[in-house]
Parts: sequence; C-alpha cells; structure tokens
Amino acid sequence: MIPIELLIAQTINGLVYASILFLVSSGLTMIYGIMNILNLAHGSLYMLGAYFAITIIMKLAGGSPWGYLAAFILAPTAVMAVGAAIEVGLLKPIYGKPEEYQLLLTFGLILIFDEVVKLIWGPAYINFPNPGRFLGSIEVAGFEFPVYRLLLIALGFSVAWLLWFLLSKTTLGKKMRAAAADREIVSALGVSVPLLFTGAFMLGSFLSGLGGVAAGPLYTASPGMGIDIIVNSFAVIVIGGMGSILGALVGSLIVGLTRAYAIVIYPAIELALVYLIMVIVLLVRPVGLFGKPEEVRR
Amino acid sequence: MPLLELREVHVERGGVLVLRGVSISVEKGEAVALIGRNGAGKTTTMRAIMGLNKPKSGSISLEGRDITRLPPYKVAALGVGYVPEDRRIIPDLTAEENLEIAYGSPPPDDMLDYIYSIFPELKKVRKSRGLYLSGGEQRMLSIARALVKNPKLLLLDEPLEGLAPKAALSVSKALKEIASQGISMLISESGIIRRVEGIAERAYGLDRGEIVYEGTLRGILEDKHARERIWGL
Ligand SMILES: Nc1ncnc2c1ncn2[C@@H]1O[C@H](COP(=O)(O)OP(=O)(O)O)[C@@H](O)[C@H]1O
Ligand SMILES: [Mg+2]
Repeated sequence: MIPIELLIAQTINGLVYASILFLVSSGLTMIYGIMNILNLAHGSLYMLGAYFAITIIMKLAGGSPWGYLAAFILAPTAVMAVGAAIEVGLLKPIYGKPEEYQLLLTFGLILIFDEVVKLIWGPAYINFPNPGRFLGSIEVAGFEFPVYRLLLIALGFSVAWLLWFLLSKTTLGKKMRAAAADREIVSALGVSVPLLFTGAFMLGSFLSGLGGVAAGPLYTASPGMGIDIIVNSFAVIVIGGMGSILGALVGSLIVGLTRAYAIVIYPAIELALVYLIMVIVLLVRPVGLFGKPEEVRR
Repeated sequence: MPLLELREVHVERGGVLVLRGVSISVEKGEAVALIGRNGAGKTTTMRAIMGLNKPKSGSISLEGRDITRLPPYKVAALGVGYVPEDRRIIPDLTAEENLEIAYGSPPPDDMLDYIYSIFPELKKVRKSRGLYLSGGEQRMLSIARALVKNPKLLLLDEPLEGLAPKAALSVSKALKEIASQGISMLISESGIIRRVEGIAERAYGLDRGEIVYEGTLRGILEDKHARERIWGL
C-alpha cells in the first residue's frame, strides 16, 4: 500500500511534469499541424530556455528572486528570437522540398545546439537553486504543497486555456487553423502565409523556452535535456494526436502522471509504460486520441 | 488602361505547357466570360492571375501594375477576389468564420447585411461549420468570401457548374447583381453558354491553352473556327 503522502506528492510531481511537457509538446504539435513541419530541434529550444535562465538568474541577477521573474520573461523571449531565425533563415528555403530535408536539417540543429551549449556553459550538469525556497509551501488538510510546483501546474493549464482562446476565438487563430487545412486558399484570400508560419513557429519556440525555464531549476540542466524532452513530447503528441492542442494536453497528463506513479510502484518500467500506452493508442486509434484522419493538404 | 491584362502568358504544369501565349483583358466594370471545355486551361489562367501558378513567360498586370510574380496574398490585397472551382471552404470553420479570415477580423454588421442581401440562403447557416453546408451553400459562401474585401475584380471559376437547379438560379441571380454593382469579373464556363448570358457580354474562347476566339458572347456560337475548336462541331 502506497502512503497517501507519497501519492499526493507524486500527483503533484506528475502534474508539474505534465505542465512542462505540455509547454513543449503544444508548440511541437501546433507547428506540425499548421506548417506540416516536424521540428526535431524543438527540444533544443527547451534546453536553450533553461540555459538562458541560468545565465539570467545566476550571472545577471545573482540568484535573487527577481532573477527568476526576469528569467521567465526574458529567456523564452530570447528563445523565440532564435526560433524566428531558424524559421526565416533555415526552414523557409526548404519548404516545398521533400520531408527528408526538414528532418535532416532539424536533426542537425540538435547536434549544433548541444555543442553550442557545451561550449558556452560547459558539458557538466548544472544545478541551479529551486525558486521554491522563496515561495515556501502552503498547508491544506494537513498536507504540504510547494508553491512553486503549484504555480507551474497553474502555468500549464493557463497556457492551455490561452492557446484554446487564440485558436478558437481570435481571427489570427482561425487563420492558423485555416492554413493548416488549406494554405493555398488562405493565401489567395489575402493572408500572408509566410508571416503566419513565422508567427506560429515563434509562438511554439517561446512556449518551449518557457518549458525550459520552468524545468531547469527542478531537474537540473544538461546538454542532453533537449533530447530527453523531445522523445517524451513525441510520445505525448502521438498519444494525443498530431496537430491537436487538446491532444497535447491530455497526452501530457497521461505521460506525466504515468511516469510519476510508475516511479514509486516499479521504477524500471517507468519509460516502458509510456511506450506501452503509446503502442496501445496507435493500435486502437492510429491518429491518436484527438487526431483527425489525414486530410488532403494543399 | 484595362483593369486586368494578360500578355502572351505561358504556364507549365507538371512539365507540360498548358497555357500557350494567352492574352486577355478585362476593363473596369466589365464581366468577361472564358469559355473552353475541360482541360482547356481556364483554371490555370485564373491560378496564374492569382499568383498560384507562376508563368514561364508573359506578363500579367492589374491597373497597369505588374503582378506577374506577386504571391497570392499580395494579388488578393490589390483587389482580386478568387472563387475556385472546388469552392475550398474551410470545413472546420463556420460560414461566418470563413468570411472572417478573408475580412481580417469579424466582419461588421453592414458588411454581413450586404452579403446576406446577395445570398439570403447564407444567413440561415451563418453559424454552421463549412463541412455541413450543401454544395450550393458552399459555392455561395465561396463567392461571399471573395466579396468581403470589396474587390475590383472577381475571378469566378465555373461558378454555375455542378449545382442543383435551384442553387444555380440563386447563384446566377447573385452574379448578375454583383456585376450590376460595377465589380469586374472574369467568369469561366465549360460549355453551356446560356449559363453566363446576362452576366457577361464579352467572351474569350480557350482551347488547349490558346485563345481561339475573342468577341461577343453570342458571337462565339456563330464563329465556325471557334465552334470547331471548342465543341468540335
Ligand atoms: N496539378 C496539375 N498538374 C499537372 N497538370 C495539370 C494539373 N492541373 C491541370 N493540369 C493540366 O493542365 C491542363 C489545363 O487544366 P485546367 O487549367 O484545369 O483546365 P480547365 O480548367 O479548363 O478544365 C489540362 O491538360 C490538365 O490536365
Ligand atoms: Mg477548371
């Protein structure tokens, strides 16, 4: 029998991990859905977010609480700029070319970003202090809840709501959905599809960077963290359905909670269990829980 | 200066030359028909104007301005509305949201009133998703979507093809009304001249990527050469 304290703690941990996974996988799935680009380097943007945060918090702010606040705004913004450069400078020239080009290119970017991070910040794991120490915890019904973790969970759900609002209530979001279905006609209706693509890619990059800032203090930063998150994000969007934001949310919750519970029950099967779920979903519903059957793209 | 002018436009598709020196023009306020059987190159002509297919050679101009190599969204911004033959309604968006993406924001009430005065049928389905509209409603919405930006020129690719008689009548009536408002049109038709009568006065005949007739719409039936090329009689 698992003690209730542990169960609650792992639920919180699972939800925190789900939040971070959602920040990364929502952008990954949105970029795929709208632009038909599978950005393998999306996890590297997450890694950059964490490392930018380290520099802002430790070097520029000397570890003060304001450093964390600044990092949550500045680091994702810097990652967004990197994303803009990638889309405009590297991806635009290969749109319309066979898919292998974008896979090779974005895979190449993973290697480049890993090396760049090693050059600037060094190859070692960097532990940076958890901002939880400034925030403490609150007590509810006799149980301790760390405030920083609760805030991260709220962040994940807030971003999910904001993305839902963007895509279903704003003209910009409707243009993005329309471009996902038929970019040619959207362009013929007067919408600058190149600009729309750059915008979508920047938004996805920002969210991935935000995930990195949130995760850095929790899980330590290392040059391999981009690969780790991208592998899990792929599991998330395959389970939830490629291109679906709601799918990314549900997939993140499934993967996040599964991993958190598996770790206390039987740690060895933690990752295997995630893949098992993925395989079962693929067998029962190949397009994922909330995916749509492949339509003709133009 | 004509509103729209194509000069010696050549377009290749899939390595085959499908437009071979097409020269046509549309004056301000004029509705012009483009007549030709299936595969003649009507759709390609419209796509070339829109910037969806880049010409190999030749030039396209709008009010004297060269638009030959402009991307589609810039051509649209200059006042060209495109109604593709396959309608291309966004299935996930409602009828009004389809108008919204073309307008750039939710269309104001006076614009919606104008649209629903031309297509009363659309008012009933304004909140329905594109997926659930009938073929006729989709055609009307496709025309409405091209109208919301107050275009100078409408490109209508076989707008009366494949519609139930009642819907065809509504669309035909709407097109006459739009033409009477002074919006120029290039309207293609694959065979039944009668369908564009009362909308267009002037016509071009197109066959295998070449203009084979230029004159009045009625005249095309009396032109032996054009008749042979287009209908084989
Ligand atoms: N996507 C395409 N790829 C290659 N050839 C095409 C394509 N679309 C049309 N064609 C060819 O171009 C020619 C003109 O087609 P089109 O402009 O659609 O004619 P129309 O609209 O008058 O029926 C036809 O011979 C057709 O087979
Ligand atoms: Mg055609």
